[in-house]
Amino acid sequence: MDRFDRAHTRRFSGRQAIVAVGLAAAIVVVCSGASIRKAGEEMHAGIGRDIVLAVGRPAAWIANQLPLHRTSHTLTAWLSPDTTLTGPGFTNSADAGASTAIPPVTPDAFVPSQLGAPPPAKQQLHTLLVTGDSMSQPLDQDLARSLASTDVRVIREPHIGTGISTTILVDWGKLSTHQVSQYHPNAVVVFIGANDGYSMPGPNGKQVNCCTALWAAIYAERVRRMMNTYRQAGAARVYWLTLPTPRDSSRAKIARVVNAAIEVAAEPWLAQVRVIDTVPVFTPGDRYRDSMTIGGEPTIVRQSDGIHLNDAGSSLAAKLVLSAVDADFTR
Amino acid sequence: MLFPSVQFAIFFPIVLALSWALMPRPFLWKPFILIASYVFYAAASPTFCLLLAGVTVWNHYAALLIGRTERDRWRSWICGLAVTGDLVALGIFKYYSFFAQSFAREFHSVGLGTPFPLLTVALPVGISFFTFQAISYTVDVKRRLIEPARLIDTAVYLSFFPHLVAGPIVRAREFLPQLASPRDPEQVAVSSGLMLIGMGLVKKVVIADYLGRTVVDPVFAVPQAYHAPDAAIAAYAYAAQIYCDFSGYTDIAIGLALLLGFVFPQNFHSPYRATGFRDFWRRWHMTLSRFLRDFLYIPLGGNRGSTLMTYRNLMITMVLGGLWHGAAWTFVIWGAFHGTCLILEHAFGGKLKAPTWLRWFVTFQLVVFGWIIFRSQNVSELWTFLKRFASPGAPTLWTAPVIAAILATIAPQLLPERPFDRLQGALGRLNPILLGTSLGVLILFVAATVASQGVPPFIYFRF
Repeated sequence: MDRFDRAHTRRFSGRQAIVAVGLAAAIVVVCSGASIRKAGEEMHAGIGRDIVLAVGRPAAWIANQLPLHRTSHTLTAWLSPDTTLTGPGFTNSADAGASTAIPPVTPDAFVPSQLGAPPPAKQQLHTLLVTGDSMSQPLDQDLARSLASTDVRVIREPHIGTGISTTILVDWGKLSTHQVSQYHPNAVVVFIGANDGYSMPGPNGKQVNCCTALWAAIYAERVRRMMNTYRQAGAARVYWLTLPTPRDSSRAKIARVVNAAIEVAAEPWLAQVRVIDTVPVFTPGDRYRDSMTIGGEPTIVRQSDGIHLNDAGSSLAAKLVLSAVDADFTR
Repeated sequence: MLFPSVQFAIFFPIVLALSWALMPRPFLWKPFILIASYVFYAAASPTFCLLLAGVTVWNHYAALLIGRTERDRWRSWICGLAVTGDLVALGIFKYYSFFAQSFAREFHSVGLGTPFPLLTVALPVGISFFTFQAISYTVDVKRRLIEPARLIDTAVYLSFFPHLVAGPIVRAREFLPQLASPRDPEQVAVSSGLMLIGMGLVKKVVIADYLGRTVVDPVFAVPQAYHAPDAAIAAYAYAAQIYCDFSGYTDIAIGLALLLGFVFPQNFHSPYRATGFRDFWRRWHMTLSRFLRDFLYIPLGGNRGSTLMTYRNLMITMVLGGLWHGAAWTFVIWGAFHGTCLILEHAFGGKLKAPTWLRWFVTFQLVVFGWIIFRSQNVSELWTFLKRFASPGAPTLWTAPVIAAILATIAPQLLPERPFDRLQGALGRLNPILLGTSLGVLILFVAATVASQGVPPFIYFRF
């Protein structure tokens, strides 16, 4: 039946199969036990995470007692496609609400139109960075396609599975700094939050669970740091999209808090940071819907997971972003 | 649960050890492997375990009823009803949103309302594979090729985790006899299994994911940003990526089954060596090809009627085969493209005398062209991509690692097979302890190439 089941194929015993697979697993534990624990920490709470951590914690301990994990790391580190991120990350961030000083209000907190002032002259858009978690896909493609005929350089950098409330996969505090120093974008589009809801360290070092006001404050603090990085002291514009309400009620609760935190985080720099609210467009009244009318035509706008936008929805989101970008830039 | 994941690395050694411990007692082993398979499936989509169980029970009782019915006419009716049920389940979960949206658009264009509610329906992982296997079981019982199995055997057959989510499509008559008696614990192809798992990991994680990340995804996402040379390399890179991704998955699935004492049919046989489209489909996703042949093409009449009827049957088979891959017009066009090539080959292949190398060259280029259709997100993007071939410019993605990865995938398929078979045979005779150690070291190196976002799902998980 199969070329791997020919008569001349040498046969062994089931016991040898178990020993061989066990040996392969033992080598992974001894040389890379910490990555098993890390994989567990990356998972959402649940029985799967508990099982992986139950194996990963002793595996990491065993690996740390032996010298092999360093050798293994030295031998394999060069193969990693990831960039090493440096600089201050969220893990080193100042605790939310820890400072008692009143932060100064700067002119950056005001949109000129609010003050009856003329809008600032439009700049030439040269580099647009589109980033975030899986929410930023396929928005990034739509924006890149829309701007393909212009001289605008579009950097698409989605980081799937990441979140602002977790630093295990990617620390967005470090990543945002790295992105700015690498690409020098003068416009940044951010769409993130689908994976958020992880507990974060609070003012006294204790873990704060979602979705209390304190959690929202810590989250807003992190978002504000990213916005400040991306706006580059006022030289760039930031377009931050809120999350359209997800179908699942527990995720909808997180999305509501994330969106509130985004609004609060943007307040000091409303002159440079635009919050693009997707809720009234896709889920008016904070009520989930699969489809809506676009151009008079009924259209499905969500993916089957009830979280992400599909191609049609993403295309509409891209139009919202481009109209905001066009208010600030020429291209 | 993905095969190249920490969860599976914990799951499999436990299942393997318990499986061989319980193997001598089938009354314990069968419930155990059934539970293990459902745990594996639940890790991806717990709610859809009910669907899998439903498909199992539906086909089991249909097959039982067919087995107890003597009259052929009644057997055909029951079989037809069972297959219709399977196709309805597949249709709702896989195609509802696509057709609802397409109908809504057409109705709207003539001023009518939406005929069906515009809803998104979650796609259960592996539904295309387990429904096809269920159909093959029921139809084979109807054709008297196999006897109806016990419920536990049907359930183990349909849910056996190595083939559950992306094949190969194992026929009931290949698998059920292996359940008839416990697998011999002294006759396990351990080294072959380990070798296949190692090979599959390298193909998927090192080659397929690398090509996807660096060339294929960027170019197919925004073809407008690239010129002809990059569009070309992206097309060849996708040909290499999809082969490594899917055959890598199959290698791992076959290897895991071998370690558990089961044999699956071969699914790939150097497909880019093909010198024609008939040849290609004998080498690419072989278990789907024979399913379509036995359960669609031949029942439609195959080549038993007139030439025109044969062409019609070929086209229907390939278009539906294309649609099986996903709910998008590009898959339909891809199927029609292959159908057209098969018809042209049928019509003119015998009359044209061309050297083997030329037939290979033309076939390979056309297959790669087909992959462009397959990979494009929609018809408009396909057109945009094709237009890039008329846009000259400097290559930006022709790097040495990319070219090496493409060549490493395609070139070995063009070399004589015998030395590879001999090498494979020699490796299959190696001490499993040595191979186990090698696999452990290989996993360390392969894991190091994984980006922080983890291993992307296998392409065929979507189908």
